[in-house]
This record gives sequence, structure tokens and C-alpha cells, in this order.
Amino acid sequence: MERQGGIRDEWIVGGHRFSSRILMGTGKFKDEETMVGAVLASGTQIVTVALRRVGRIPGEDDMLGPLLQLGGITLMPNTSGARTASEAIRAARLGRELSGSPFVKVEIHPNPHHLMPDPIETFEAARVLAAEGFVVMPYMPADPVLAKRLEDVGCASLMPLGSAIGSGRGLATAEMLRLILRDARIPVIVDAGLRSPSEAAAALEMGCDAVLVNSAVAASGDPVAMAAAFAQAVEAGRNARRAGLMPRGGGTALATSPLTAFLSAEGA
Amino acid sequence: MTPRMPAWLDPSPGLDGSGSTPADVERALGCDAPGPRELAALLSPAAHPFMEVMAQRARALTQRHFGRTISMYAPLYLANYCMSGCAYCGFASDRVQPRRRLEPPEVEMELASLKEMGFEEVLLLTGERTSQAGFGYLLECVSMAARRFHAVGIEAFPMTTREYALLADAGCSGVTLYQETYDPLQYDRLHRWGPKKDYLDRLDAPARAMEAGMRTVGMGVLLGLSDPVFDAVCLLRHAGHLQRIHWKSGIALSFPRLQPQAGNFTAPFPVDEALLARMMFAVRIVLPEVPLLLSTRERPEFRDGMAGLGVCKMSAGSRTTVGGYGGAEPKTEGQFRVGDERSVPDICAMLRHRGLKPVFKNWDSVFRDTEAGRNG
Repeated sequence: MERQGGIRDEWIVGGHRFSSRILMGTGKFKDEETMVGAVLASGTQIVTVALRRVGRIPGEDDMLGPLLQLGGITLMPNTSGARTASEAIRAARLGRELSGSPFVKVEIHPNPHHLMPDPIETFEAARVLAAEGFVVMPYMPADPVLAKRLEDVGCASLMPLGSAIGSGRGLATAEMLRLILRDARIPVIVDAGLRSPSEAAAALEMGCDAVLVNSAVAASGDPVAMAAAFAQAVEAGRNARRAGLMPRGGGTALATSPLTAFLSAEGA
Repeated sequence: MTPRMPAWLDPSPGLDGSGSTPADVERALGCDAPGPRELAALLSPAAHPFMEVMAQRARALTQRHFGRTISMYAPLYLANYCMSGCAYCGFASDRVQPRRRLEPPEVEMELASLKEMGFEEVLLLTGERTSQAGFGYLLECVSMAARRFHAVGIEAFPMTTREYALLADAGCSGVTLYQETYDPLQYDRLHRWGPKKDYLDRLDAPARAMEAGMRTVGMGVLLGLSDPVFDAVCLLRHAGHLQRIHWKSGIALSFPRLQPQAGNFTAPFPVDEALLARMMFAVRIVLPEVPLLLSTRERPEFRDGMAGLGVCKMSAGSRTTVGGYGGAEPKTEGQFRVGDERSVPDICAMLRHRGLKPVFKNWDSVFRDTEAGRNG
């Protein structure tokens, strides 16, 4: 067991404690009411907002307004749209100014079509922003070596992708995620690619600390109901992880001619 | 001399099965990585009975990649001077009509009006390069727009890489340039005189814009000028070619369509609404991640129906005259007839009614890399 029963099951990122293990994205919703409804239904405590959707002056189209009114939510501006480290760094500083939050999701995808994170620029931006005191949460390829490099420069968590953003292909990177999890000293959050609550449960069962979802909720038939379903799945996955899964079956049946039969001959 | 098509653009490999059968269409719909051949099948007459299936697929893909949102933008026509003789264009040099450009104070007022209407993205348009509305003028207008708007794009004439880089430095992040038609013969016939007669210079311009660091290049053909299947397959090949080389820039596709009878010009290959819709579904299926735009050329009912079915970006409240948003009186005719004259609030209400969120701000000027002096 990772923690004793009776103790609150919390996880810590950058010195901040959270009990909800689902993080929510806020794009792609049909209106603010649905977005806020989904955020509330998920029970999330960390919400990410694309800086490019945040208004800078009153009267501009604004994503931040409705979220600032919700209690108990930590805002995590993201730098989506940045192609380079310097763009992401500027966006992060502006995001901190506008949201008042030290959290930043470093998201650098130079290719606007598949939106795959750039490992080189992400590393550089993370290094600079961590040194400036940000709680840096990098969206990253599921690369175990990059994970350690990001940890070494002071990131607060790792956010490897399960599969491409918005693809709904689930945990296509599961084998790499296992290697990241095995060696990580900071929380690991699967970000991007999830489609169904069962995949979120699988991520938690695997040992991930949390998941971040957006498209899977916003593009579902009923976003508020789907957010609640994800919350249940994440809780179930986490509880399963804590309970300890039984060992996999197969390969344990006894052979009729055991390979170790020779050992019983000792001393006979 | 008629220009030759470069090998990378040649659509014939995609068109060799021009007599597509329903089985080809089904294969195209079941294909993991559809390309030019599949696009041709989906645009063939055999695909017409699959219209509803294609619409469903297009909506699902659009929702997955762009969510339940529609990005909003507004065009601002800066000038209608032109020295080209494009047979189909309302601004062609042989059309007798008042010519003018917006002077800088008028540009400021028009931009202020658009900002008041809620826009955060503006597309600045001119005709071909002229002494009245040349590069310097456009650069000045881009700088003015960049002071007010998070996203500024241009739709003007082909430029040099250096000119595109200067525009990018001034805050322009998108260049729209339609090839009009990829058929070199038809292109030569329709572009009767003027700088636009240079097919290859125009063809190469999107690559120059990307080279200069533009984030998005808008592409398209003017439907009605030539065989739409030929043009659509070329467009896909052109887009693919650019994506392989300039992988840090995005493309966006528009589907401007000539009305069967536009002014004195009769579209030689008229495209009806059903084919236009099927083309947008097909392109969405083949390119799930690429923004597809729909302007106010089309009538309201068509725009309402297509919102979210492939389309993820729309203009609204548009004027195609030089001036007309309130800051400067329109004294010219429009480049084309606006089919959807509804106001911005009306379009927004329609989108919301259809379960779609109009998004005005989807970019931020913070991404302009002024320190590096370049956008990328």
C-alpha cells in the first residue's frame, strides 16, 4: 500500500496539495455554462486555460472570468500556440500576471496540425520558468529520458501524452509511461489522447498520479455527465491502485515435467 | 507560354481512377490515411449517395479537433485598385467603377468599428500590387491593425520572402492567397493580363510566406473556374507539399465559390451547393486537423447548415466594399455579392442556437516575437 488507510489520499505538486486526481481543460465547449458545469461535475481542483483564449482588456472574449468566480480551483494557464521556448516564456509570464497563479502548463507545439510537443523547446522553456519560480507542468512526449531531464531542471510534474491531442486513441504510449512512472520523483499526469473513462482508470491503475482531460469531455454527447463519469473512473482507478491489483494470470500452471525436479534429488 | 505544372503538384495519380464506383467510395471512407485518390473518390458522382454518411463523419472529426466552437474573423477591404485582368473579378482593371483606397485615418476608424463589433481577428485585403496600394501601404495598415487586434492576416498579392518577413515583424501572422485554379491552361485563359498572369509566381508564394515565418497560410481555389475535382486534388497536393517542407506553419482552407452568374462572367464549371458541401465534408475527412473556413459569399441557410460540419471558422457582418464598417463610407462596389448579410449578433445567436460557441479571441499578440524580430 502506498499510504495507510484513514489518511487523506492527497498528491502534492510544487508544494500544493490536491485530493482530486482529474485536471480539466477548458477549450472546445459549446458555451461557458457547459464548461463550468463540466468543471464542477469533475470535482477538479486544477483547471488549465489557454492564454490565447484569455481576454487582456475588458470587453474582449474571455475564458478566465467564469473560472475566477469558482472557489477551490487552481488556475493553470497554458502556453498553447507557442512554437518556441521564448514565445512560451513570454506567454507564461503574461499568464501569471492575468491569472495570479504560479502554475503554468508549458505547451509548445510548433506543428499546428498534429500538435505534438517539441521536446527541445519544452525543455528550454521549463528550465527558464522553473528558475523563475513557476510551478512548471510540462506537456511532453512520453519519453523517459526527457522526463528525467525535465525533473532535473525543477519541473513540478510531468505531463506525458497518452496519444495525440484530441485523437482519442487512449494510452498508446503505455510502455513508455511505465518507464516514466518507474523512475519519476515528481507526479506524473497523463495529458492528452484519452477518450473514455476506462482509459483514465487504467492510467491511475498504472500508477499515474492524475489525468488531464478536455476533448473527451467537451466533444462527448453530454459533457457534464461525461465529466462526472471521468471523476468516478479516476477515483476507481486510484482506489484499485491503492488496493493492489492481483498478479496477471497465465504462466503459473505447473508443468508435468518440472524444470526444477533436479533440486529435490539433493541429498537423496 | 503556358506554364507547366511541377511534378509535386501533378494530380494525375489521384485522378487515374476517375470513374469511381460505390466500392471505391466505401474504401475511401474506411481508409486509415486517406489521400488524393480517396479525395477524388469522395468527390466523384458515385459518392453523392454517401452525402449523409460523409456529413456525420465530418461533424465528428470537426468536433474532435476543434470542439463545439467556431472562430470568428472579419475581412477589411483596404483598396480596390488593380491592374490585373482576371475575367471573374469585380475589381478587374477593365471594370468601370470608382477606385479608391482607405487612407490611414479611415483605416483606423474602420479597425475601431470592427473592434467594437467584438472582432479580435481581422483579414486585410487589397487587389494586385499597385502604386496606390503597394507593399508599403499594406505594411502600414498591418502595423495599425496589429496595435488593436490579436490576430492580423492579409489577402493581397504574391510577395517576396523578405516582404513577408517584414509583414510578420509588423504583426501579421497569416497570409491568404488562392491559386484560383491549378489548371495552367485555364489559369492562363482567365487571367487575361497583369501580374497575376504569372501562375508559378503565385503557386510559389505560400511557400515564401511560410519561409518568412507566417504561422498560417490560407489556401483555396475559386470554385467554378475549372474542374472542381482536379482543383481539389491539386489543392490537397499543394497543401501536403507545403506541410512536408514548412512543418512549423499551418494551413487553412477556404472554399470560395462563384455564383453561376457573377456580373458579366458565367462560371464555366458551376459548382452547386450539394457539391460544395460534399467537397468540404471530403476535405475534412482527408484533412481532419486543418481549419476550414466559410465566408459570407454563401446564403444564410447554407452557412447555418455547414457550421460545425467541417467548417470551424466563419466571417460575419462582412462588407466587401472598400470601407463600410462605419468608419469610412463605402463608395465602391463589392468584390463579390455578400450572400449572408446578417449582423454579428445574429450570426452569434444562430451559432449558439446550434450548440456552437462563437470564439473571437483565439490568439494572443504575446506570441509576436518582437525580441527575435521574427515570428518563428
